[in-house]
Amino acid sequence: MLLSLHEVRGFRCLTEVRFEPAPGLNLVRGRNAQGKTSLLESILFVATSKSHRTAQERELLLHEAESFHLRTVLERRGTPVTLEANWWRGTKRFKVNGVPQQRMSDILGQLNVVLFSPEDVDIVKGGASARRRFMDMELAQVDKGYLNALQLYRQVLRQRNELLKRPKPDRDLLRAWEPQFVESGRAIMESRGRFLEELAAIATETHASIGGGEALQVRYEPDVKQADQLQETLDKYLESDLRRQQTTRGPHRDDIGLFIAERPARDYGSQGQQKTAALAMRLAVVELVRQRTGEYPVLMLDEVLAELDADRCQRLFLAIPEAVQCIATTTQLEGAPAGYAGDFASFLIEGGRLERR
Amino acid sequence: MFIESPRVTRLIDAFRRLPGVGRRSAERMALHLLSAPEDIAYELSDALREARASIRWCSVCSHLTETDPCPICADERRDHGLICVVEQPFAVIAIEKGGSYKGVYHVLHGVLSPLDGIGPSELKLDRLFRRLEDGAVREVVLATNTTPEGEATALFLSRQIAERGVAVSRIAHGVPMGGGLEYADEATLAQAIQGRTKL
Repeated sequence: MLLSLHEVRGFRCLTEVRFEPAPGLNLVRGRNAQGKTSLLESILFVATSKSHRTAQERELLLHEAESFHLRTVLERRGTPVTLEANWWRGTKRFKVNGVPQQRMSDILGQLNVVLFSPEDVDIVKGGASARRRFMDMELAQVDKGYLNALQLYRQVLRQRNELLKRPKPDRDLLRAWEPQFVESGRAIMESRGRFLEELAAIATETHASIGGGEALQVRYEPDVKQADQLQETLDKYLESDLRRQQTTRGPHRDDIGLFIAERPARDYGSQGQQKTAALAMRLAVVELVRQRTGEYPVLMLDEVLAELDADRCQRLFLAIPEAVQCIATTTQLEGAPAGYAGDFASFLIEGGRLERR
Repeated sequence: MFIESPRVTRLIDAFRRLPGVGRRSAERMALHLLSAPEDIAYELSDALREARASIRWCSVCSHLTETDPCPICADERRDHGLICVVEQPFAVIAIEKGGSYKGVYHVLHGVLSPLDGIGPSELKLDRLFRRLEDGAVREVVLATNTTPEGEATALFLSRQIAERGVAVSRIAHGVPMGGGLEYADEATLAQAIQGRTKL
């Protein structure tokens, strides 16, 4: 997958930007708060319809503006595809090759991207919800059925929880939501199980190659052990659900177990080691997307380079396959990243304007 | 919209409450009605007022009707032992256009949705259950939409109706007639394959 053009109008501080990345490594240079992260965020938005920094889409607007516009041209298996995202007064519209798209599942997977950002240390350090977000975002890009199941599951869960908040919930009414809960829940668990099994093998290897030291182990930790036990679990926990006024058990409580040297990664090692583990997880997705779709996704690295010494930086670039198009931000205004000897394209971003360097 | 008039704003807001109408369309319709010959606007308001005043819910099936019971419920040639349950009057019109259904209907005017505060009493389900009491109804076909709420409603109804000793069925989900499979989305195809029938 190759991103050949990305145009931005009125997204955060980016008034008008035309970004034409090259294949291979692209360095987006700039001082702090000049719009580097916003550029990556806008690429993520056109690919996934979401921001990694905020759920309040109004924050994505330029000061006092009412709309933003993104247009991206990419090459997928040699065929050009144009994506557009328009946000106007709270409604967002997406087009693929000029054709308006109604369903989220038709937008996701057009442009596969993997973003590593400083917040990703939460995959290791944060609560289970950060890890579920990681799974959901990456899986939705490569598995269309997953997004459908997830949307159904979330809606049914909301409805069931609302019923549980009533003074005396009717058992028959509660039961009316259960088959859809069980069916979508099972689909989610099966997708997550397969995804993490594939990811685990790649992540361990990647972690070793970027200098993570001791072995990283990844495994799926479903809240309900077996996908075919969901109905049983609902029955068993009905009293507890009624008492706590919410659905106690299910895939909405799933987690990913991360271990370094067989100890929980959360309690292990320095901030730097946790960050390396998180980076290994995202990089593993790059390989997994290639295995699933036949093409590498676009890799975006936000503020990674600054924190790495020459040795680790070199290992990182060695771990990224040459065929991967990579967009990395850096505050370093001149020269190549420490320890990197290959070709790269260089861009400078200043006050929301971008130019090729 | 830069016409400083609360009356114009009110008109635009009225259009915006209609299904499928966004701000832009609402403004266009309002401006059109205000700038076109006044007959057009008055014809619309008369038609609206008269239609609204003369149409009510059928006391039997809750479909929209001018006469009570509605023409479908009053038609003796139809099969009154077969009731098709739908969410909205729109579905009755769609099924009637198909022309092959000979039973009668029951319109819920909604679906179960705890998040919207809609339960069995808001849907006036007792009106449906009362129709099943005298033993004249053989079968109820559940034709609610395939949304999460439509499915939950169908499931809830199926249990309640079965308890009353009446046969229940759910409309089949599948691919559109006369269309290629390539036009159906993945979820529909998956359903169609799951619900395949033996030949």
